[in-house]
Parts: sequence; C-alpha cells; structure tokens
Amino acid sequence: MKALPEILKEIRPEFDFTVSSDFIADGMLDSFDLMTLVATLDKTYGISIQGTDIVPENFKNLQTIGALLRQCGVQA
Amino acid sequence: MAPVTTVAQVFDALQGAKAGASAFCTNFFPAHAKVQGWIDHGELLGELRDLSAFFLRKDRDFWHLYFCAANVAALQREVSAIPSLRTERVAVDLVGSEAVLGELLKVVESAGFQRYARLLRLARPNQSGQPQPSADGTEVLCADKTDCQAITDLLECAFDRYADQLPMLYEIEAAIEAHQILAVKCDRALAALLFFESQGFTSTIRYWAVAERFRSHRFGSALMRHYLAAQSAVRRFVLWVTADNENAVLKYRHYGYAPDGLVDHVLVNEMIRA
Repeated sequence: MKALPEILKEIRPEFDFTVSSDFIADGMLDSFDLMTLVATLDKTYGISIQGTDIVPENFKNLQTIGALLRQCGVQA
Repeated sequence: MAPVTTVAQVFDALQGAKAGASAFCTNFFPAHAKVQGWIDHGELLGELRDLSAFFLRKDRDFWHLYFCAANVAALQREVSAIPSLRTERVAVDLVGSEAVLGELLKVVESAGFQRYARLLRLARPNQSGQPQPSADGTEVLCADKTDCQAITDLLECAFDRYADQLPMLYEIEAAIEAHQILAVKCDRALAALLFFESQGFTSTIRYWAVAERFRSHRFGSALMRHYLAAQSAVRRFVLWVTADNENAVLKYRHYGYAPDGLVDHVLVNEMIRA
C-alpha cells in the first residue's frame, strides 16, 4: 500500500511534502488537488472521507492528514 | 436568493450539502479571502435547498452560479427549480477532468444552459535554464494605481467577460498593491500587461495581453521573460487558457506550459444568449 508522501508526490511531483508545515499556504496543493487527494486516499485505503472533513485544516501537512486517516480507521 | 453576510454561512452551507453525501458534486472551491471580498462588496447571494446549496456572484451585468449538492439527482431536481436562473443573466463553470464532467454537463444543460467556452489548465514545472529577462531594452514595470482604468479597458477588450472571470476594480487595486501586475508602457500608455497571483511555491498567470496597436513589438515576450525570471522561488506555474485560442496555447507552450488534464466548461443561460 502506498504511503502518504508517495501519494502526494504522485499528485504534485514537483514538491517535497516533507519540508512544509502548510501545503495550502505554501501553494503546494490547490482546491482541485484536494479533490484528487481525497479520491486517491479513499481508493488507496478503502475509506470514505466525509464531506465535513474535507476542510483545509485537515490537509495542512503530513501530520494533519495522518490524523484524518487514523480518524477514518487507517492504521498508521 | 438572499445576500450572504459571513464566510461561515458559505462553509456551513457547503458542509450541510456534503454531510452524508452519496456522491457530492460541486463547482465551488472557495478560498476564504476571495469569498470575504465578494461579501464585503455585496456580490454574493445564497440559497439552501434540499440536499444542496446554490450561490450567485454578481459580475458586471451577469451572475456566476456556484452549487454544491449531495448527489447529481439532488442537483438536477433543485437547479431546475431556481426561478432566478430563468430571469437573470447567468454563467456557470464546471471544472474537473473531462472524463468526470459528462454527467454534470448533462444536468446543467438540462437546466437551460448551453456550452459557451472550454478552458484548459496549463502547468509548467520550474525548469533549469529559466528564460532571462528580455535584452532588447523593453522596460517592464509594476503597474501603479494610475493604471487601473487602462488595465480594466485592456482586460475588457482582450478577454471574454463570461469565460475569463475578469477582475473587479477592487481586485485590480489589490493586485497593484501586491505588485502582481507587470506592465510595459509606451509614452505613458499601457501597452501590455501580465497579471499574476503567487502563493508559496505556485504562481498563476491570470491575464497576459498586449494592446492591439502595440503588437509585434515583443512586449508580451518581455513581460513573460521578466515574470518567469522573477519567480525564482516558484516551483509550479499554472494558468487557464481558452482551448480554441490556438495562438495563445502555442505561445504558452513555447514557454514550457502544457495541459495538465483539468478543464473548465463555461455554460451560459438563455438570458445571456438572447
């Protein structure tokens, strides 16, 4: 199963997602990328991220996305 | 529809439509600051409906329609029941990959909208060997507040108001303040401009235009080279271009831009077509 940094790298290969604490503010993910990321996470981990969880705060960095995945039942 | 007075109203409406959605669909990807600007200028109306929410944003003499719905069936049912879509001039953008937009296009077309334009998103990685600023002596400046009217006039002349999301005066003023409009002037007249927005590692060209009487002077090239050379921290350059504007697409390709798979179908209602 792909790890989160690998998934992000596939969406935006030009960025190093391990060095940013705010992907949105740093311009590394836009709102269209977020849609792609949610769909990829759902498919990769067999989950369904709720609409109410699709907010920028949950996609700021690797930690917040990791927390969201754990909340959805994904084992870290 | 009623005026929207807080950004929270917008996000609450989005969350309401998303909650428990079986196949959430939307054309609304709001950035907080942008929505706040629309509200501050009284441009945004909204309406909650069954399993969906709709917004109209005033733009010159027409409205942009935004929607979010729990599924396509809810969208189809509710969008057809909004009276203002039959009495006002309305345009709607559907953004996504071509493969996933088919169903949404059918729904919006069934509500009386017709296809008007198709835009492509182009992206350019920040490559090594950046173009250097033009060496032909063309002076590239940041536009200043005295240029507002000339910028508005050039944008109105060079772009399509329904398809190209032209900025309002306050947005032009803010962009000037942020040094995000580059200009070439001849005898104090605005000859060409490049209007961009940079956030972090990404920079978006919103408009690149040369006034008709100043074409063939390579002012556009000077602006693009200056822009690319100045964005040294940027890793990703993006823009939207009308798909059938072959001349523009070719020019962007020349500077390393290429389609990234995202498209924007712009549809307009009968009131605009009339």
